[in-house]
Amino acid sequence: MERRAHYRNRVLPWLLIAPQLILVLVFFYWPTSQALYWAFTLEQAWGGGNEWVGFDNFMGVFGDGRYWSTVGRSAVYAAAATGISMGIALVLALFVDRGLKGTKIFQSVFIWPYALAAPVVGVAFRFIFSPQAGMIGSLNRIWPGIWDPATNGLHALIMVIISHAWLSIGYNFVFFLAALQMIPRSIAEAGAMDGARPARRMLDLQLPLIAPTTFFLLIMNIISTFTDSFGLIDTMTEGGPIGSTEVMVYKIYYDGFKSLDYSGAAAQSIVLMLIVITLTFVQFKWVERRIHYT
Amino acid sequence: MKRNWLLSTLTASMLALTASSSLAAPVKFEFWYGLSGDLSERIQDMCKAFNASQQDYEIVCVSQETYENNLQNTIAAFRAKKQPAVTQISDGGTLDLMLSGAYLPVRELMEKNGYQIDWNNYFSGIASYYSSPKGELLSMPFNSSTAMIYYNTDALKAVGFEGLPKTWSEVEKVARDMKAKGYDCPVAFDPTGVWQWFEQFSAIHNQPIATKGNGYEGLDAEVTFNKTKFVDQLTWIKKMYDEGLFVNKSKAVGETANDAFVNGKCQITSSSIADHGTFGKQAIKDMHWEVAMLPMLDGFPRTNSLVGGASLWTLRGKSEEEYKGVAAFFNFLAQPDQAEWWSTVTGYIPVTNTGFQAMKAKGFYDNAPYKGRELAIESLTATPPTEYTRGVRLGNFNAIRKEIGDAMQAVLFNDKPVQQALDDAAARSNEILRRFEKTYKGASLN
Amino acid sequence: MIERSSFFDFVTYAVMALGLVIIITPFWIVLVAASLSLPEVARVPLTLWPSSHLMENLSAAWSRADLGPKLLNTLVVAGGVTIGKITIAALSAFSIVFFNYRARMLCFWLIFLTLMLPLEVRIVPTYSIAANALLPFQALLDATGITSLVETIAGIRIELNWNLLNSYTGLILPLIATATGTFLYRQFFMTIPDELVEASKMDGSGPMRFFFEVLIPLSRTNMLALATIMFVSSWNQYLWPLLVTTDRPNYGTVVMELKALIPAQNGTPDWNVTMAGALLVMLPPLLVVAFMQRWFVRGLITKDK
Repeated sequence: MERRAHYRNRVLPWLLIAPQLILVLVFFYWPTSQALYWAFTLEQAWGGGNEWVGFDNFMGVFGDGRYWSTVGRSAVYAAAATGISMGIALVLALFVDRGLKGTKIFQSVFIWPYALAAPVVGVAFRFIFSPQAGMIGSLNRIWPGIWDPATNGLHALIMVIISHAWLSIGYNFVFFLAALQMIPRSIAEAGAMDGARPARRMLDLQLPLIAPTTFFLLIMNIISTFTDSFGLIDTMTEGGPIGSTEVMVYKIYYDGFKSLDYSGAAAQSIVLMLIVITLTFVQFKWVERRIHYT
Repeated sequence: MKRNWLLSTLTASMLALTASSSLAAPVKFEFWYGLSGDLSERIQDMCKAFNASQQDYEIVCVSQETYENNLQNTIAAFRAKKQPAVTQISDGGTLDLMLSGAYLPVRELMEKNGYQIDWNNYFSGIASYYSSPKGELLSMPFNSSTAMIYYNTDALKAVGFEGLPKTWSEVEKVARDMKAKGYDCPVAFDPTGVWQWFEQFSAIHNQPIATKGNGYEGLDAEVTFNKTKFVDQLTWIKKMYDEGLFVNKSKAVGETANDAFVNGKCQITSSSIADHGTFGKQAIKDMHWEVAMLPMLDGFPRTNSLVGGASLWTLRGKSEEEYKGVAAFFNFLAQPDQAEWWSTVTGYIPVTNTGFQAMKAKGFYDNAPYKGRELAIESLTATPPTEYTRGVRLGNFNAIRKEIGDAMQAVLFNDKPVQQALDDAAARSNEILRRFEKTYKGASLN
Repeated sequence: MIERSSFFDFVTYAVMALGLVIIITPFWIVLVAASLSLPEVARVPLTLWPSSHLMENLSAAWSRADLGPKLLNTLVVAGGVTIGKITIAALSAFSIVFFNYRARMLCFWLIFLTLMLPLEVRIVPTYSIAANALLPFQALLDATGITSLVETIAGIRIELNWNLLNSYTGLILPLIATATGTFLYRQFFMTIPDELVEASKMDGSGPMRFFFEVLIPLSRTNMLALATIMFVSSWNQYLWPLLVTTDRPNYGTVVMELKALIPAQNGTPDWNVTMAGALLVMLPPLLVVAFMQRWFVRGLITKDK
């Protein structure tokens, strides 16, 4: 992947990258380093002072059974939301890619969810899934108690996961479609000459060819379930009932900002950051390799 | 634009030369508060009235929507040295602020600026909540309330109950009769309403919430709510819930307990006296309702209930000039006519003895729509504050409230055994307290 | 020509129609709910056909949340972020890909890592920065002893202060400080053949000329894709504006106003007005995505240039 042709200049590259670097240092690294420091201290909420406690905060986090259930819940959330969303988006993209008459209309609608803010979707889906109003309300009339995200933690979690999956269909669809359209026409036609049925062609030809994109999306989706779930959960359930929709980011926000435990939240955010970095690193290696080999 | 600015600066400095300096632009200071909707409008009215009443100071009032938001944003601003001069903090955030040293005690502020205020005139239950253990008032009592119970009297009549229920066993009886008469929802129950269902229950029955006088005597207090009458009460609530006599109504369901009450769907609800005014405005046509003090368990004498709402804290780090303005503003709030206006347009109670007596003498409480609000004062002053009814002084109390709320929900929704749920909540609450104690190591309550 | 199978075509249409239903239903329900009156929206089961109150709900939401100026604010912020991001990211990616200096991979990783930790979890320290964006520089001066040096020599205490609270700058700058743009440009720039660079060098043109005359024209579709992504994501920002704007009337944005429209704050469960508000808030980014989608899809295809 290394370029052979480069410009040489001592000053210019630094001038070019300076604005971005300064912004990142001021608005990301400075605050993050402060949070890092808090993770090893007990920070008073009003900023009155703090005390060095070493790894105590981390011990506290790891020794807390509720933290581990939050981690487990985040994993389930990530797997389910990613699976549902990518599955639907892939199927839609495969069929749109066939380019039948009138496909363009479908294609433009399928992108729509991408445009929506998580809180907007949260508000809309909260209404749709409301046990007493909305559509599901009528189901409850027939079978009372069959759907109640307000008291049933599992229902609440399902509700948030479905909303998240729906929200990311647009994004996944765009990338899948772009990847499918990159496959040279000749390959598909060669497959047709061999007499492969269209359905077979999808499975045997197209899927392997878009594997890199699939992998890229997989990682992006998982990261997004860690980092973007906040807007949905905050507008839909606020982590309840009884913490059953509390995922890692929401717990950090809640513990730090609402319960004023800055240090515990800081320790959790470092753990989260390590997880996301690991995931990203894997993905990054993959993307690099792909460019190298093709 | 620029010329205008120059011109006005010039004129201002000319004026300053010719006249006394008090003619210069008024000193501005900010006041952040945590109320929204109708109550926010009333505060804006109040700010306008203050600004119109004098020329030296200008108050800028900013709504932060909720108490919680206001606390968080005030802290963030304080850490960044951009804090308002005055902020409204509710009971849950009181201790953190007390230990922070981030505030100026109101008594000191007023004395320094030459205002004479008779602090003994404040209701003792209110003063004790916002005072240091030595009895020094730290913040300005502002919007005070306490928890009450509201009855739909049409429904009571329908089941043939005379007067209003005074005990929980009477509530159980009317609820059962209502159910039999076909009322779907006799009692609206908000499982996140820890304040009215747990704290106030503990206070009026003189039950401890924590050792060390609910935390007043030291940061090493431990919660005890898993060993008090509250265990029985929650067991009873669970029974009522399972029988469909208590119905879950909260933000999460899409209809709050208060909404369900004013819509006539639920017949009994427990809420703040501050909602008295709102209920009057929102209750559906031809619905009759009344407010009463919280019911008691059979055989318990009533002790005073806890003051709710919030108080005004003066934050450090501002100029002397601004503090003069703050003191003038507090003095303005303490004037009898202003205090009376405030408790008329909202449901909040007057905070001083003389204020209350004056309103009573005028016949304010004799007729609708204000009739019944005097019961809140009666509840707050039922007895002099005891060790367990002067207030709650626990670190990070908002987090402890959430533990108790989660425990109530686990009991109701997931059939977790009451004792176990409360034991777990107590254990977690104590962890929170120990962590808080460690964070503020060396700090003392005085 | 690929052969057609009529059965499979039927399946294709059936699946796409099903997808259409899944995608459209929530939009449809929002639209229907926004057109109902208060008693209608409270009825169970909800009707699935619009009623006649759309305009009055829209205007109720419009005036209650004061959406006019808020939309303008959001437009300024989203526009500012988009333009700033496209520019700064192009420059930094150019620097990383086309120059050979030792620290470039380090720089890239420094920028790239910002994707790892969302704003929500570092919100309090970020607020301090917004209150004084020059804080790190002050700390630098203090730590190196320059402050005290100047103070003893000149008797002046250096106080660097740049408050970003309640300003468009405060709403925009922190959002520009993320890696998405740089990353996307980098991926595209890497596909530019070395020959183009060589040819440009042969012509004797410098790096900046190459940047403006070759790279920028080539990356037009990528820029449009990036612009779409940035516009949508900054339009939809929620927590950050909520924190840095205490001056809501002047600097509030639409998404944060939406939460104020959710019932339970004011009593009546008027979900119809909430939904009307949601409709108004989601419309601009939806239009942008619908309008840009052709370039959007193409801009992500980085290889067939």
